[in-house]
Amino acid sequence: MKLRRELWFGLIIMAMLVLPTIIFMPWSAMTTGHYGLLMLALVVVAIMLGFPTAFTLMGMGMIFAFVAYYGVKGEFKVAVSHTLDLMVQRTFGVMTNDVLISIPLFVFMGYLVERANLIEKLFKSLHLALARVPGALAVATLITCAVFATATGIVGAVVTLMGLLALPAMLRAGYSMKLAAGAITAGGCLGILIPPSVMLIVYGATAGVSVVKLYAGAFFPGIMLALLYVAYVIIVAKLKPELAPPLSAEDRIVKLTPVAAKVAHATGATNSVSGLMSALKGASNVGVATGDILKALGIALLPLLVGFAFLFGMHRYATAPDEVIDSGGLQEMGAASNVISAPSSTGGLAEPLKELGGLQEPPKELGGLQEPPKELSAPPSASSAEYPSTAAPVEDSAAKTATKTPPAAARLATPSWFWWLAGVVGAGLAVLYRLLSWGRLEIFKMLLGSFFPLAVLIIAVLGTIVFGLATPTEAAAVGSLGGLLLAFAYKQLNMRVVRESVYLTAKTSAMVCWLFVGSSIFSAAFALLGGQDLIEKWVLSLGLTSTQFLILSQFIIFVLGWPLEWTEIIVIFMPIFIPLLAKFNIDPLFFGLLVALNLQTAFLSPPVAMAAFYLKGVAPPHVTLNQIFAGMVPFMIIQIIALILLYIFPAIGLWLPSVLYK
Amino acid sequence: MMQKILLAIDRWSTRIGQWCAWSIVALTALICWEVFSRYAFNNPHPWVMDVSNMLYGFLFMMAGAYTLAKNGHVRGDVLYSFFQPRTQAGFDLALYILFFIPGVVALCYAGWDFFSVSYAQQERSSISADGPPIYPFKLVIPLAGIMLLLQGLVEIVRCIQCLRDGEWPSREEDVEEVDVDKLKEMVSGEAKAGQL
Repeated sequence: MKLRRELWFGLIIMAMLVLPTIIFMPWSAMTTGHYGLLMLALVVVAIMLGFPTAFTLMGMGMIFAFVAYYGVKGEFKVAVSHTLDLMVQRTFGVMTNDVLISIPLFVFMGYLVERANLIEKLFKSLHLALARVPGALAVATLITCAVFATATGIVGAVVTLMGLLALPAMLRAGYSMKLAAGAITAGGCLGILIPPSVMLIVYGATAGVSVVKLYAGAFFPGIMLALLYVAYVIIVAKLKPELAPPLSAEDRIVKLTPVAAKVAHATGATNSVSGLMSALKGASNVGVATGDILKALGIALLPLLVGFAFLFGMHRYATAPDEVIDSGGLQEMGAASNVISAPSSTGGLAEPLKELGGLQEPPKELGGLQEPPKELSAPPSASSAEYPSTAAPVEDSAAKTATKTPPAAARLATPSWFWWLAGVVGAGLAVLYRLLSWGRLEIFKMLLGSFFPLAVLIIAVLGTIVFGLATPTEAAAVGSLGGLLLAFAYKQLNMRVVRESVYLTAKTSAMVCWLFVGSSIFSAAFALLGGQDLIEKWVLSLGLTSTQFLILSQFIIFVLGWPLEWTEIIVIFMPIFIPLLAKFNIDPLFFGLLVALNLQTAFLSPPVAMAAFYLKGVAPPHVTLNQIFAGMVPFMIIQIIALILLYIFPAIGLWLPSVLYK
Repeated sequence: MMQKILLAIDRWSTRIGQWCAWSIVALTALICWEVFSRYAFNNPHPWVMDVSNMLYGFLFMMAGAYTLAKNGHVRGDVLYSFFQPRTQAGFDLALYILFFIPGVVALCYAGWDFFSVSYAQQERSSISADGPPIYPFKLVIPLAGIMLLLQGLVEIVRCIQCLRDGEWPSREEDVEEVDVDKLKEMVSGEAKAGQL
C-alpha cells in the first residue's frame, strides 16, 4: 500500500510537468525554441525514471544538438560533425576546468577526516561541556554534526554515525523521538552549506561566480542557520522540558584520569591549576611523576598561551605601519592573518596534533610553559583566587614591552581599543581559570583532542582561501594532507583507510564531474535550440519586479528539491536562471547564497530526503520514517526563516565578501 | 558463461578505475609540494598547473566506467526506488539504448578525432608558456569512452537478465560511502577503547 502512495506521488509530479507541456506547446507552430522546452520537460521525466542523470543529459543533449544543427542547415553530414565537435569540446572543457579540479581534493580530504574517527570523542566531549544548557544532548548533536559535516562534507556518513551515537543517547535520556531525529538530520545537512563545501564549488563552476567569494559569503549564513537550530532546540527544551529533559546527575559526571584524581585527592584543591601547582611544590609530588603534573599543567595553561599569542598578534596588527593598510584590502587582510596565525595552514594543524602527542610525552614547547607558572607560584600565598588576577597584568606588561621595542619602521601608537581588548581577554582568562575545576580541565582536554583539531583544520583551509592566501585547489590539497595527518595522529592511518578513501574519492568525483560533462552538453544544446531565449522572453513578458522574480525562482528551486537532488538542480537549472539575473539586476553571488540555503531543504523534503533514509537505516525498529519526517518539519521551517532573513538582510552573506574583496 | 564475461568486464573496469584513482594522491602531493616550493622557497613551477589539471581530468574520466560498474552515478530516486526490479530494468534498458549507447559512441568517435588532430600537430598545452604535450591527455576521452561503452554493454545484459529473472543479478562488492556495518564497527570499537 505504501509503495503505491509513493509511486502516485512521483507520477503526479511527472504529470504536472508533462501535461502543461503538452497543453501549452503550440504544436502547429513549433519553433526550435519550443523543441528546447520540450527537451527540458523530457529530461526531467527521464531523470525521474531513474536513469543515471549524467548519461540522460549527455544522450538528450546530443540528440537535440543534432536537431538544432540540422534545423539550421538541413545538411546531415555537417550537422553530425558539428554535434560531435560540440560534445568533445564540452567534455574537454570539463576536463580542463580549473574550478572543478578542487572537487576531488575536497572529497578526498573529507573521506580522510571521516576515517580519523573523531566523531564519538567530539560528541562525548561536547555533550559534557554543554551539560548545563537546556536540551544539552540535542545541542551537542547539532554542533557535532555541524563541525563534522563541515570538515567532511559527507551527509550520509554523518547522519548514519550520529544515528548510531546520538540517537540512542537521546532516546535513553528521554528525548522526544521527533526532536532527536530532526536535530540529527538537519545538523548532518549543514555540511553542504557551510564552506568548504562541494555544493558551492559546483554552483561557482556553473554560474561563473568566484568560489572564493561564495565561501566568504556562505560562512555567516551557514553559522546563522546552525545557531537558529540551536536556539530552536534550547527554546523547545526550556518550554517543554518533557521533550528534552535535562541530563541526570550521573550523566554529567566526568571521569578523571588517574593523575588528576590523585592530585585532586592529595591536595584537596577544587581548582585544577592551583591543585597542580601545589602538588608540584610538595617534595614528594604527592606520589605522581613530575612529568605527568607538568603535562596536565601545560594543558591547563594553554588558553593563557593562546590568549597571549592572540593579543600579541592583534597588537602587531594594530600598530602595523600605515602604508600597509593602503595597499588593497586583499593583501592587507592576508598579511594581517599571517601575523595572527603565524603558522601556515599545515603548521596550524600540526600544532594541536603536537599537543596531543604531549599527552604521552612532554614536548619541548611545554618546557617553556613551565617557567611562568613557577614564578607565579613562588609567593607562598598564590591561591587559586590570586592566580588569575596576576595573569592579566602579566599579559599587559608583556604587551607593553612589545610596544616599547617596536621595529624601527615607525609602528603606530597602541590604539585604546587594544587595551579594551586586552582587558576583555584578561578578564575572560581570569574567569576561565577561576572556574577551571578538575572536571572542567578533563572536558577541556577532551575538547582539545576532538573539537580543536577539526576546528583548526576547517579554519586553516577556509581562512587561507577566504583571505586570498591560497586558491581553493591549493587549500584543498593541503587540507587533504591535513586529513592524512589527522588520521595518522589518531592512529587510524593504514593502507586500507587510504585505499578506501582513494576509491571513494574516484567514484564521487566521477559522479559529479560526469554529471558536469552531461549537463554542459545539454545546456549547450538548450541554448542552441533557443530555449533560453524563449524562457527569457517569457519571463520578461511577465513584467515581474526583481523581488517577485527572486521569490518565484526560489520557490521553483524549493519545489524542484522535492523530487530532485541538489546536484541535478544546480547543473540543469542554474544555467537557465543565471542569464536572467542580469536582467533583474540580481547579484549572482547573492543568488547563489540563497540557492545554497534553499537546497538545504532538498535534503529534508520527502520523498527523496536522503538524510531521513540514512537515519532510518540505523534507527531502532520502532522508529518510523513518518516520525523522522515529522521531526524534520520544524527544521525545514527554520531553513525557510533563514532564507527569508538572508533575503531581508543580504549583509549577512554579502558583508564579508564586500569587506575582503573591495 | 555469460555471467563470467560480465564479471570479467566488471572487474576490468573496476581494476582500471581503481588504478587510475590513485592519481588523487599524486595530485595532492604535487599541489602540496608546489605550495611549499612557492611559499617557502619562492620557486614556482608553471607546469604544475598543466599537470595537476591533467591528473584531475584523468582521474574522473577513467573512473567513469568504474563508477558505472558499481552503480555509483547519481539517479533520480523519486520513482525508481519504488519500482519493481522488472520495471526498473525495462526503463533502464530502453534508456541505455536510447541515450547511453549513442552518446558514448559519439563521444568515442569524436574523442578519437580530437586526439588524432592534436597528435598530428604534436600539440602542447597553452595554459602556461612552453607547456607539456597535451595530446596524451586528449587520448583520455576515447579511452574513457571505450571503457564506458563496454561497461554499458554489461549493464544492458544485466537489464535483460533482470527482465528474465525478475531480480537484479549480483555485483561484486566494493567500498561504499555509507557502509553501515563499518560505521557501526567504528563507533563500537571506539566505545571499547574508551572504556579501557
